[in-house]
Amino acid sequence: MLATFLQALVSGLAIGGIYALIALGFSITFTTTKTLNFAQGEFIGVGAFLGVTVLYVLSSGSFSGHGLPQAASAGVNFPVAVIAVGAVMGVLGILLFITAVQPFAGKPGMSWIMSTIGFGTILQSFGLAIWGPAPVSVPSPFGDDVMRFGGVGVRPQEILVLVVAIVLMVGLDILMRRTRLGKAMRAVAHSPSVAALMGINVTAIMLGAFALSSLLAGVGGLLVAPISSASLFLGLGIALKAFSGAILGGLDNPRGCIFGGFMLGLLEAGVALWQAQWREIVIFLLIILVLAIFPNGLFGSRSLDKV
Amino acid sequence: MTYSSNPSRRDIGRGALAALIAAPALSLSGRGASAAEDIKLGFNGDLSASPSAQSGRAAVVGIQAAMEDLQKQGGVLGRNFALTIRDDLSQPPKSIQNMSDLIDNEKVAAVFGPTNSGNALAWRHIPNQKRIPVMGCIGSATDITKAMSAGSDNYMFRVGSVDRTQVVALMGYAKKSPNGKRIGFLTETTGYGQGGLKDLQEVAQAQGMNVVANEKFNVADTDMTSQLAKLKAAGVDTALVWAQGTPIGQLMRSMDKIGYFPVTLTSWAADNLSFINASGPALAEKPIFLRTVSEDRSPRQQALFDRIRPKLDADSAFSFAVHGYDCTLLLAKAMQQAGSTEGPKVRAALEDLKGTIEGYAKTYTRPFTTANHDALGAADQRWTCWRGGKLAAYRDDVIDALKSDDFKG
Repeated sequence: MLATFLQALVSGLAIGGIYALIALGFSITFTTTKTLNFAQGEFIGVGAFLGVTVLYVLSSGSFSGHGLPQAASAGVNFPVAVIAVGAVMGVLGILLFITAVQPFAGKPGMSWIMSTIGFGTILQSFGLAIWGPAPVSVPSPFGDDVMRFGGVGVRPQEILVLVVAIVLMVGLDILMRRTRLGKAMRAVAHSPSVAALMGINVTAIMLGAFALSSLLAGVGGLLVAPISSASLFLGLGIALKAFSGAILGGLDNPRGCIFGGFMLGLLEAGVALWQAQWREIVIFLLIILVLAIFPNGLFGSRSLDKV
Repeated sequence: MTYSSNPSRRDIGRGALAALIAAPALSLSGRGASAAEDIKLGFNGDLSASPSAQSGRAAVVGIQAAMEDLQKQGGVLGRNFALTIRDDLSQPPKSIQNMSDLIDNEKVAAVFGPTNSGNALAWRHIPNQKRIPVMGCIGSATDITKAMSAGSDNYMFRVGSVDRTQVVALMGYAKKSPNGKRIGFLTETTGYGQGGLKDLQEVAQAQGMNVVANEKFNVADTDMTSQLAKLKAAGVDTALVWAQGTPIGQLMRSMDKIGYFPVTLTSWAADNLSFINASGPALAEKPIFLRTVSEDRSPRQQALFDRIRPKLDADSAFSFAVHGYDCTLLLAKAMQQAGSTEGPKVRAALEDLKGTIEGYAKTYTRPFTTANHDALGAADQRWTCWRGGKLAAYRDDVIDALKSDDFKG
């Protein structure tokens, strides 16, 4: 019985790590620009396939059936792919901001919702034209053998996802709270006009926020690909849960978003122990209940704009 | 289908002259004469989104191959088939929209598809109301080809596997197996999975089986250890699984995580490449399932296989291409027999097809009746598994001991 609970805990933490990473991405753009990237799901799928492409090139173009061979992720290949995906997705994030967010940010109405969704649809369509619709198996850099700890089975990729997610989140937390750049970001989040008067390049900070958020989505996609296969349709479900986690934790509190992401992952695994088909119902009922009591999420401090 | 060779400059000149002369007549008839000659057919199914999209693409390959062959034989009623393809991305609203578009705007005489059973169940009222025959070749939910109410018009036909038929055989296996004392169900929460669950529950009752666990999972889940832990705690020795290829693969990976491998009998979706891609070749060897086209191909099947293989995603997708081919063939015969492409006449002809028709899944003798709109039955099922990364025929003592009396429900 204990092993069953521990198994659910490990499974929940692994998927929760991805939710938390993407939820953090939502928080970063919201706190700096008051907008969100609703194409985050497509960024996850495209990030996964960019990773597949890099791994394919690094392994000298080897492909078996509908997946990459184990050797493709070996050695430095996977870390190189993570860095490459992060860089390309960061640039895509900047492009998204310039084309789909900046023209509408700060203006009445919520045109940026449609424009970011549209950007994602275009991105996915390009992805389909380049890579096709079929999912691709991606090997984990540490192999696929189940590791057992006291009756609990876990795959190396799940541990990797959790470790990378935690490292990235701690790193970003330090960046936000201890560095000048972080302070500048927080200043922009607090008041863009005052930040601009203080000599902070507000546009550059906003560009950086979108680059960072997109980087997290892309890297998240590549990290989760060895668990679920790379697919251009992989991200939508993850992004929805991550967004729910962000709302639950408090969209304007990065640490709250991380907490919300992990909480959602653990809830999923926990409810599945009881009745899996009730999972979505229980989770979303709980979110509604929490928001009814804490309208800005569990750790949110600022009241949201009402439209 | 229509084909055109590269025209020469003289041909273009003659064509332009002919067009000028014929222009008044064309403007009266509305459309060009060549377009009116084709019998328009539609395909509506997932070609890109769900784990089963590969089977949708394979079915289209089969349909197109049959159209080529029919054209070589002079067409149907002296006309050629033209196929209009619509991808429904596995989404029911999109599939419903496609169906109305194909029937109302494209004016198709019949529709093939869909890939996903849930989508067929979402729109089958449309062809039934508009009296347009649908030839199913992938989606296997039992209710697809059933009349929506007693005595109502039913235009849904199928050449493919049927969940009920598979469930009856798999449950027969579970009952005969020395390990089948405590069975459990694991089903996906899509229309396909829940349709299968209904069949599983009804057949288990009909065969007097002891069901001790019933768990569900989402199509995109990557971890089913919580559900499996409950089966394990209930002492399940035989798991019956109804889901698409990828989630069955993820289920195998979750079984591996907790080191629990009951006898696993699955839907035929496990023959999909998406299954082995998700599970990996070693875990893919665990489940047993049924399919309609064996990997031991007849020379005739082999010839078709060699011809269309370059267009298929995988060897295992061949069965869907065969269904698509045979669907087209039976539809063509029905139109020929009816002497018309009108829905009600074609339906009547399908329900009373004369003579024997040599298809690739089997040779058909009166494949459909008023009460039965499924061309393939229990005798057309083949026990299958994965071995060494390829599909193979499966056989053991339990299968050898199975008699027709064991198949109830």
